[in-house]
Amino acid sequence: MPFDRDGKFYEAGKTIEVDGGLAVRAKRGKIGERWWSRRFVDVLERVCDGGRLARGRAYARKGQVMDFHLTAGKVTARVQGSRPQPYAVEVTIAAFDETQWTSLTEALGSRALYRAALLAGEMPQEIVEVFDEHGLPLFPDNLDIRCNCPDWGVPCKHGSAVLYVLAEAFDDDPFLVLAWRGRDREALLGALRGTPEPVETVDPLAVEETPLEERLADYYSPGLSLGRLRERPSRVTAPPELLLRALDGPPVRVRHIPLVDLLKSAYRELAEPPSTVDGGS
Amino acid sequence: MLVIQAGWVPGGDRPGRLALWAEDLSDLAGVIDLDGDAETLTLKLPGTTRGPVPPADLATTRAVKLRSYDVPALLVRDGEALATLTGADDAGDEWLAGPSLRYLGVLAGFAFDLARRGRMLPQLVNEGGVPAARWRPVITGGDAATYRDFAAGMPPVVRATGAGLGRTLRDALNVLVDSAARTLMPERLLRGARPGPKAELSDRWVSALTADDPTLPGARAEDVRKLGAALGDWMRAANDANGPVRVSFRLSEPQPGEDDWGLEFALQSAEDSALYLPATEVWEGGRFPGMPARPDETLLAGLGRAVRLFPLLHTALGDQQPATMTLDTGEAHDFLRQAAPLLQAAGFGVQLPTWAGRKGVGLKLTTRSKSSPQSRAVASSGFGLEEIVSFRIDLVIGESAVTAEELAELARLKVPLVRVRGQWVELDDRQLKAALKAVGRRREGELTAGEVLQQVIDGGEEDLPIVEVDADGMLGDLISGQAAERLTPIGTPPGFQGTLRPYQERGLSWLHFLGRLGLGGILADDMGLGKTAQTLSLLLQERIDHQPQPTLLICPMSLVSNWQKEAARFAPQIRTYIHHGGERRRTDVDQDVDLVITTYGTAVRDLNTLKSGKWERVVCDEAQAIKNSGTRQAQAVRAIPSRTRIALTGTPVENHLAELWSIMDFCNPGLLGPAKRFRKRFQEPIEVRQDELAAEALKRATGPFVLRRLKTDKSIISDLPEKNEMKVWCTLTPEQATLYQAVVEDMMATIESTEGIERRGNVLAAMTKLKQVCNHPVHLLKDASRLPGRSGKLARLEELAAEIVEDGDKALIFTQYAEWGTILQPYLAAHLDRPVLWLHGGLSKAKRDALVEEFQTSDEPMLFLLSLKAAGTGLNLTAANHVVHFDRWWNPAVEDQATDRAFRIGQSRDVQVRKFICTGTLEEKIDAMIERKKALASSVVGTGEGWITDLGTDQLRELFELDLAGVR
Repeated sequence: MPFDRDGKFYEAGKTIEVDGGLAVRAKRGKIGERWWSRRFVDVLERVCDGGRLARGRAYARKGQVMDFHLTAGKVTARVQGSRPQPYAVEVTIAAFDETQWTSLTEALGSRALYRAALLAGEMPQEIVEVFDEHGLPLFPDNLDIRCNCPDWGVPCKHGSAVLYVLAEAFDDDPFLVLAWRGRDREALLGALRGTPEPVETVDPLAVEETPLEERLADYYSPGLSLGRLRERPSRVTAPPELLLRALDGPPVRVRHIPLVDLLKSAYRELAEPPSTVDGGS
Repeated sequence: MLVIQAGWVPGGDRPGRLALWAEDLSDLAGVIDLDGDAETLTLKLPGTTRGPVPPADLATTRAVKLRSYDVPALLVRDGEALATLTGADDAGDEWLAGPSLRYLGVLAGFAFDLARRGRMLPQLVNEGGVPAARWRPVITGGDAATYRDFAAGMPPVVRATGAGLGRTLRDALNVLVDSAARTLMPERLLRGARPGPKAELSDRWVSALTADDPTLPGARAEDVRKLGAALGDWMRAANDANGPVRVSFRLSEPQPGEDDWGLEFALQSAEDSALYLPATEVWEGGRFPGMPARPDETLLAGLGRAVRLFPLLHTALGDQQPATMTLDTGEAHDFLRQAAPLLQAAGFGVQLPTWAGRKGVGLKLTTRSKSSPQSRAVASSGFGLEEIVSFRIDLVIGESAVTAEELAELARLKVPLVRVRGQWVELDDRQLKAALKAVGRRREGELTAGEVLQQVIDGGEEDLPIVEVDADGMLGDLISGQAAERLTPIGTPPGFQGTLRPYQERGLSWLHFLGRLGLGGILADDMGLGKTAQTLSLLLQERIDHQPQPTLLICPMSLVSNWQKEAARFAPQIRTYIHHGGERRRTDVDQDVDLVITTYGTAVRDLNTLKSGKWERVVCDEAQAIKNSGTRQAQAVRAIPSRTRIALTGTPVENHLAELWSIMDFCNPGLLGPAKRFRKRFQEPIEVRQDELAAEALKRATGPFVLRRLKTDKSIISDLPEKNEMKVWCTLTPEQATLYQAVVEDMMATIESTEGIERRGNVLAAMTKLKQVCNHPVHLLKDASRLPGRSGKLARLEELAAEIVEDGDKALIFTQYAEWGTILQPYLAAHLDRPVLWLHGGLSKAKRDALVEEFQTSDEPMLFLLSLKAAGTGLNLTAANHVVHFDRWWNPAVEDQATDRAFRIGQSRDVQVRKFICTGTLEEKIDAMIERKKALASSVVGTGEGWITDLGTDQLRELFELDLAGVR
């Protein structure tokens, strides 16, 4: 039974639905796919009582979290409860200062593995050790969660809903974790690269556009003979599911099955299609 | 004939559609068997105020501008475009696929290829405000180069709706790959209940990926955004591997006596693999052209991606500047077997030692003939497949023979990579077991030559192939495929009119030798080297001292006259019967002749009659006709019993392995084993893995039975005459024959009733009409009706042209009628998918020069169609090595002048000149007159066709009249 900050019992009203809120994808089971997101959810689940946790999860799934804003050391979010005015939630963490980040960046940059992974947009689990070695653990033991709702318990369901939404945002972009600690993606990668420098991107599929007016004489003719186009070099035959194996799969589950696992067996069968449809020579 | 053009209409935020319309802008709806919605499209086409200009007239029409026209079109729904395009190649008789439609057909093939190789990812896209589940191509590495080729190759008309090139191609490929993926994917990716409209979006999306309806109406915007973003990131990551520079791995052997394999990392240009920079130099700031701004990052990011496929790499990435890593032998083996193929397929460069991937253990078969060494001539005449030879089988690892003890020691060590006498070899368990088993079997003794041959052809077991054969005597020559070189050449047989060239004598000896052994062979000499003459001389040779059963020759209809004429010319004493046409004997075979000529079509129809005959041999000319063993004609020719068989073909059979099996199986039924084994043993290893050992084994298995000489071989060229001129005898089709007779009746009546200049004019007009009929009914009727199957000459030209471009050659084709060239050019271009240039009097000087330049400098096989008059002087076309005169001018001087375009200074001797002549027509008769009168001064016949107009009416009638014996 809920009590407010003055110890008085209060009536929990009907929750107001939010249109376009940040609903988490995972409709049942765990929220937070990746190891780094789980770390935050673990902290939350350790400190919060079961009832509030369940309500927070339900809130997160329903999309009651309207938005959140992440800056160094602080996440602020708005959560729609039963009152017309959304509640303001704040989750704080200690941001590292410039000196600390400089030594951390040096340590991260000295090992190609971390640099390679981070540059490829991934978060290698071993980097936790680098933070630990510097006495600056990446993941806190406790989180400071505040909410302006009448619920006395900490964290309240609004706070835990925000944490769940945050965990899923971390799934999509592990660099948010580092940003929360005070280094955003561009700044960190820039530092890892040495000097930040724009890399020119050449699209290998870019084609030269010729105006139709300049091709009137051969308007109906192929620019390269069709015989040439048919002579496609034979590709090294790779298993058709290679693309799925070579990439980090998207954090998408279908009926609890990771998407990539679902597709793999279908891809394997591609080379030997059941039908007799032929794609020409 | 109705020509269909095609364009792609990109759909904005909806899938694009395929648009089809008739080149003459007539209404297609209901006319052709293609489905689509009839709509009027506004297309940008080159034209004048009077309307669009047809493709053939573009080069000669003035004041052509890009204008908008309303065109009745069929729009094919996005889901059906793929099926329409893949079916468009084998269009029926009612219409012809224009180059734009054929281009899109080839693009559809590429889309299928991408889907079959799994180069696509499922995405969530927005289609007109509704989310939809779609498959999208991932185009990286070599596929990106192909994509750019398709961009460069797109006929402008494909984007006549005005959309940009990149957008049109991208959209078309998106739609086609989506369709291909849906065709190839199982009906459902997920078992269980179909998700309803309220189910989770990811569930509905997966279901829609293979459903008829890809759209997901009513999905929550936030769900769509999240799923779309996650899938979009996935696609971006897939495309990241598409840089111009890739990470490459090079595995190197350890130093002798050590166990440290080196794996070097490097950056390599994706386009030019020679641009290669080892990682050590990358770290030192080294560069090559085309490097990204931060090569070190490219290297690191690439290595980061590679870890997923090669987990051991993880250890190397602990260094600050990883450049190499060391592997022990077991790890090196894992890299060879597992990581290397995956890395390569994922777009990384991989360089392995040359021995990698080869079978480590094999057998060496040695045989020695028992007879005392004699002169080869004697040996060859006495050689038979029953001859007993002694044999020995050795085990070979790498390149050295090993003893049973050494093998046992290797087996005990149980390492997959071993060094045998300094050479590294991959040994897998299965091979070792097979080798140990073989040690226990009989490895020395005696066999018949026939048994040895069969063993060599079988090539040993899959895990223990025969990798080397050392045989002496005639058996050795046969197995090494050198029999033709080593046999004592048989001279030109008596009764042969003419003299065989030295290589033809060798060919004759080879055919004769195989036949005596009861074996069949494939004579695959280049076109023009005289396969006909060699075959006919064989018939004469075997009739020197006894009378064998007749030979049955099966050829395409277009070649019947030619065989008949050539037999009469080279071997007049050979009694020939044409089993073809309405008057043929249908119930039995005349055994009192030497040669029976029939067509593939007749062979199928009269199979029972032909099976009742007793044949010395069956010969299949243009044996590509039986390249597909499943077809009715291939099965029919196999079913005719015969002592031996010969296949004649000019196309390089060794490049088309399935075809090679089919033709070999005709020549020597069962010798190569069933098609399935052939596929597994040779075709797949060679075509898929470029397996050299399998290629060598195939060469051993088929070498004895294939004789192929190229006209460019040094020894052949020296045997060839300066100018290799041939007459090509063509048959009129029944339609042509009927037309021809009608024209003769009509014109003779006119000629008889006129005199003087008027009569001369009528004679010339009659000749023109008759020659037009000989070319093609459409040439005379000018009714733009369909072309295929209506002219003997055209059928022959199609076959010849296909062979010429297949060989990578270039040809000049002369006609004296510009209107015929204009009809022929688009038809040939569409059938060959190679450039067919067309030079005629209507072109400007600049345009002509451009055509000549293209013909002379392009490295692609192509045809150059020329009007005889326009090509009279000043052209240098030495790139051609074939000249075809499609119709005759009857003036040798003019023809020679044209021919000499190809014989300018610098031209080698391998030019073949062919003159097409329709048998039974005035073409044949005038040719005969010219031949007879060649002795007379060229002043008589050398001045064109004028002299014919002075002939009397009876002579004219005789000249014009159709000799029905020549028309079947």
